[in-house]
Amino acid sequence: MPTLTADPQLPEPDAAEARDNATFHAVLQALSRPGTVHGLPGAGACPVAQALVDRECRVWTDDRHLAEVLAMTGAAMVAPELADHLFLSLASAEAMDRLLRVRTGSRLYPDQGATVVAPARISQGPALDLAGPGIAGAARLCLGGLHADIWRVRARLNRYPQGIEMLFHDGAALVALPRSTTVTEV
Amino acid sequence: MAYVATRGGERAIEQAERMYRAQTGRITPSRVKEIGAALPALVDRVMGEASLYAPDLAALALAQSGGDLYEALLLLRAWRTTQPRLQVAEPVAADEGFTHRRISAAFKDIPGGQILGPTLDYAHRLLATQVLEGEAYKPAAVTPAATPAPARHPSLAAWQVAQGLVEPPMADPVDRDAIPDLTREPLLFPAKRAHTLQSLARADTGGTLALGYSAMRGYGTAHPTVNELRLSEVEVRVRHPRGVTFSAGRVKTSQAEVVTTKGKDRLRLGFAATLGWNEVKVISAATLDLNSPGAPKNSPVNEEFFLYHTEPVESSGFCIHFKLPHYVTFQSSLDALRGAQAKKEAPTPAKTEETA
Amino acid sequence: MTLASLTRPWRAFSYGFLDASAKREMRRKMIKAVAVPGCQMPYASREVPIARGWGTGGLQVTLTLVNPKSVVKVIDQGADDSVNAASIRRFLTRVSGAGATNDTLAASLIQSRHRIPEEKLRADQILILQVPNPEPLRPVEPNMSAARQMHADADYGRLWLTLYEQIVRSGRVMQGASYPSMVNGRHVMSPSPIPRWDVPKLHMADHLTILSAGREKRIFAVPPHTRVEPLVFDDVPYRVEDHAGLTCARSGLTGYFMNEIPQDGGGSAHEVSDSELGVKAIRRAEGEDPEIGATWYVDGEMQR
Repeated sequence: MPTLTADPQLPEPDAAEARDNATFHAVLQALSRPGTVHGLPGAGACPVAQALVDRECRVWTDDRHLAEVLAMTGAAMVAPELADHLFLSLASAEAMDRLLRVRTGSRLYPDQGATVVAPARISQGPALDLAGPGIAGAARLCLGGLHADIWRVRARLNRYPQGIEMLFHDGAALVALPRSTTVTEV
Repeated sequence: MAYVATRGGERAIEQAERMYRAQTGRITPSRVKEIGAALPALVDRVMGEASLYAPDLAALALAQSGGDLYEALLLLRAWRTTQPRLQVAEPVAADEGFTHRRISAAFKDIPGGQILGPTLDYAHRLLATQVLEGEAYKPAAVTPAATPAPARHPSLAAWQVAQGLVEPPMADPVDRDAIPDLTREPLLFPAKRAHTLQSLARADTGGTLALGYSAMRGYGTAHPTVNELRLSEVEVRVRHPRGVTFSAGRVKTSQAEVVTTKGKDRLRLGFAATLGWNEVKVISAATLDLNSPGAPKNSPVNEEFFLYHTEPVESSGFCIHFKLPHYVTFQSSLDALRGAQAKKEAPTPAKTEETA
Repeated sequence: MTLASLTRPWRAFSYGFLDASAKREMRRKMIKAVAVPGCQMPYASREVPIARGWGTGGLQVTLTLVNPKSVVKVIDQGADDSVNAASIRRFLTRVSGAGATNDTLAASLIQSRHRIPEEKLRADQILILQVPNPEPLRPVEPNMSAARQMHADADYGRLWLTLYEQIVRSGRVMQGASYPSMVNGRHVMSPSPIPRWDVPKLHMADHLTILSAGREKRIFAVPPHTRVEPLVFDDVPYRVEDHAGLTCARSGLTGYFMNEIPQDGGGSAHEVSDSELGVKAIRRAEGEDPEIGATWYVDGEMQR
């Protein structure tokens, strides 16, 4: 007896599924190859939020428009130090203070480190040398629109295997820095 | 000579499935209905282990699997995966349900009385062979009591708490909408209380009995006394988006509370509940719960031990997975063995790892 | 916000079987798995329509990644026509509309049990390994909480000790498949149970590998260009299976991982475990010109 005949036609993803799938492929590739640029199906943090966040999540954002999108997902809005996903600008000194408080997980559960999604100018601004998993030898990335202290703050947060993942979006372009990546300012 | 094309494997599995299904033949709505009506205990057991209260789907799963309980369970659990979580229902207190049966072994009589309700406990287990000779078995009708038992009964533990006999259960400060859900989060240890109870609620009846029985025989330290065993129907109360709370229906539940006198100066409680009426399971599970505090690692009453090993879908799936070909891992171990033989140094090879 | 904007028309099954919420959880956990290579990340692991222990972990990863443009290859013990591989492939294509292939070069997603194909994987391919037991410490510490603490402390002394004891007792390391390997210099992982032959293929590879144990509810990953180093002593080198000199009786290939086929009257024949590589070699011998990709091993030697 066939048990799965409910959908006899070839299944088609709906628009949300197609968008989330494409977003995640970009995120996964960006994290697997730190410093390489990947295309999102839409601009900004919105597609990333939609692909990753739902009512099982605790989030924080400084972006009013995004706050509405996040509310639709059912995620709980919490303080930055409790959030598992943060969507924020990392351009100000205030943002650096905030970033210093985010969850970095524990050695027992490194997965509890937060995912931080921020706007940046990709391929502009200060040059960074990247090394670590996903990088053959060394890679260079230019990233602008961020506070000057950002890499010192990141280095303080990342006590491997504890740490945070950073996703930077610029329009529909995405780069990522997992905690395993060593960043050196050039 | 060419390789067998991929189609070979596909045709084989299709025909093998057909052979199995030929045993049970056509599945009709009336067959599913008959299973539901004839086998309420089995339907309840499967619903509890599936953590899906849907008698029609459970009966369908039993029909579709030909009565293979683990297959029926997997059908229901996999179906459950596809369903969205729309609401978290209101919590139900132990004494809030419509009680059909409620007994205590700890006292001769209890506030609210001993209510036997539906049970085979005192039936003589004689096969009604006359049915096979063509004579229907017709159970005698129930004679209603002169005064009906009240629908609600107080909880015995509440009386014991009031008497200072039992450590009152710790209030769980978790928010109603934030109750940890085992089906959405992995089970980690030490387990959250909600995860422990959820895990026991969906545990394998047979597995829970085996480990619970080992505790009863002495592999646990606490001997259980059934403080209260309760079969009831409880309302599933949910919130309408407009803000009104309403009942979406009733579900059958079983609850067991067991106690031990081996506390410091008060009774200690073990508790379990499940969907459907399944007394063996809740008594065994409550016994495991009773014995788990401070249990040594790797003992049958250690929480990690019994929760992992009574998960019916995981344990049955892993058991049957050993039918899958393992010739690559076997070949790999064989290579190491031959290498060691060649060295002629070690007549007894070291224990190799589980090549699952 | 309206009620209608939060709802969708009812469908019997979501695209790719898993519902959107299950997929999101998989995505969140895959991100963390890639970020901390080799570290086992716990996940909820939904029940899927195949039994636990039959590839449910790999299946949940593939179902999350798959889209109608994907081309999936599914193998079990290296073979595409193995019955369980056929079952998983049929399910995957049925619920996703993705294409299916036996050809390693044509696949975008490769779900495998116990083997890595012999043809080198590329950066645009993702390898998904089914994992029955994700815990390399299980033989020395069956309690998962205790094992987790050992990983947290990078406390692998007891694992080293068992390897040492094997050498003392048997003159060699007796670990068969699933050889414990240090990932990114920090976490020891159990590389599913792929044979020792396949472990070097994970080291500094071009492709991403995701390992997923559905029953044990753990997911871990080896990103591209990541160190994967089998635990060995300086003076006892890592040894892959002694298959370099074996020849496939059906395809004539030499220098790849082989299946041993016992023969009537004693002795054994061998056939290449990567069945599609064998098919390609046979087709070539019959005058066709199938594309055979570069292989990790050449003449039985791992290429670096």
